[in-house]
Amino acid sequence: MATEVEQHVSVENESGIGWIRFNRPEKMNAIGALTRKQLAESIKQAERDDAVRVVVLTGSGRAFSSGADVTEMVQGAGMRTPEDVGNVLRNEYMPMLMRLRTMPKPVIAAMNGPAVGIGASFALACDIRIGTPESYILEAFVNIGLAPDGGVSWLLPRLAGTGVAYEMFFTGKPLSAADAHRLGVINRIVPAERLEEEVRDLANQLVAQPRQALAGAKRSVNHALVSSYEDAMEFESYLQEAQAASSEFAEGVQAFLARRLAKK
Amino acid sequence: MGYENVLVEIDAPIATVTLNRPKVLNALSPDLIRELTAALADLDADETVRAVVLTGGPKVFAAGADIGDMADRSAVEQLSRDQTGRWISLAGFSKPLIAAVNGYALGGGCEVMLMCDLVVAGETARLGQPEINLGIIPGAGGTQRWPRTAGKYAAMEVMLSGAPVTAERAYELGIVNKVVPAEMTIEVAKRLARQLAEKPPLAVRMAKEAVLKAFESPLSEGLASERKSFYFLFASEDQKEGMHAFLEKRKGVFKGR
Repeated sequence: MATEVEQHVSVENESGIGWIRFNRPEKMNAIGALTRKQLAESIKQAERDDAVRVVVLTGSGRAFSSGADVTEMVQGAGMRTPEDVGNVLRNEYMPMLMRLRTMPKPVIAAMNGPAVGIGASFALACDIRIGTPESYILEAFVNIGLAPDGGVSWLLPRLAGTGVAYEMFFTGKPLSAADAHRLGVINRIVPAERLEEEVRDLANQLVAQPRQALAGAKRSVNHALVSSYEDAMEFESYLQEAQAASSEFAEGVQAFLARRLAKK
Repeated sequence: MGYENVLVEIDAPIATVTLNRPKVLNALSPDLIRELTAALADLDADETVRAVVLTGGPKVFAAGADIGDMADRSAVEQLSRDQTGRWISLAGFSKPLIAAVNGYALGGGCEVMLMCDLVVAGETARLGQPEINLGIIPGAGGTQRWPRTAGKYAAMEVMLSGAPVTAERAYELGIVNKVVPAEMTIEVAKRLARQLAEKPPLAVRMAKEAVLKAFESPLSEGLASERKSFYFLFASEDQKEGMHAFLEKRKGVFKGR
């Protein structure tokens, strides 16, 4: 037995930024059982670690992630029954994707390349996406006779509109970086060689922002997405009361009046 | 009122009772139950208090009974302690009782919530009856109050699966009145209590009794009882004050007389 466990996911914390990287470049960052285990642990850790104020999810090599490791699904020890497929979604992917969407800090997808299937689910579950001209989003499920999963039936219609989502689900054709950018699915496209730098710049800006205020924005949006306009405004107003009582607001106002930068 | 397991804070016309065993997620020990019911009995008798907030604090409402205390008890011991029977006094509280729920309200904790009149839930609230997982069922009204509030099918799911529901799901089921940011839950419940405390106390009491009666009696009996209370209130000073204030376009001041 090998004593050294393969690192399918690498984690690096750098001055407030927690980089979580799919790390199977030889397999286009396909996600197998070991990847899921390591990814779940990395995401959980990034949420817990107070020193991590912004999380970046990215891939090494040419792809963001090519999605589920299909060879593992149909071969050998990893072979899955239909029920296994459902259980992996419910018990493994769901908690990870929920955690990305609800953790009280910004999560950025640095889309260094294609995001396919469950890989796209991870990119779309992030709060912000930055891509390169080589990035694309592909809901490939139909190409192997499956329906969408990993939350994209909920996310993609909201991000791209129902028509675009249906076309992608029905045809199994990719949404290019340019189209994704035009639709607002990807916030911006930068040259591949500048991706890390651009993402780091953005993440650094967010690290310098008032932490609780950012968490509040995320809580409000998540609450609003499942409630009425009226309920959303009521929730906002209470959240704002709590925020207005915070030291972040006190300092922010002082700094504004004194025409200086707010202290963190 | 020297209590150890609950904190009572009176800020007339409202009071706040906080379950105070944070180290054990406010597990409902016999001592806590005794103190809580005693504290509520005092508040019921205190005329300066017109509405009460019941909370477990910022993190958790109450995660149920003390399992360590119950694990090896016999049926006869359990019966003679009548832990669940003591709750009757809580359900009989005559003033508005508002639950402010953050985090878990499980098992007995959820049943205490169900005995309150209104529920303000933080977005972190998780409500459930996990008793089934321990080989028992809810014993303080859960099987009866869930279906009366959320309907048979939601009640069955909660009771049989033992899985808790989120604050949002609870709101959809009509089992909580409001979902607010967790750090505001207690404050929002207190504001609601202050609003209700301005209402005429006798009418509030009759309205509460009448609504609770709906769960206990056939419609004809409930309607008859409602009518009696309606007529009875015409014997109160507050009814005269309320109607005259309305006609004079001013705010009524109510004395509970």
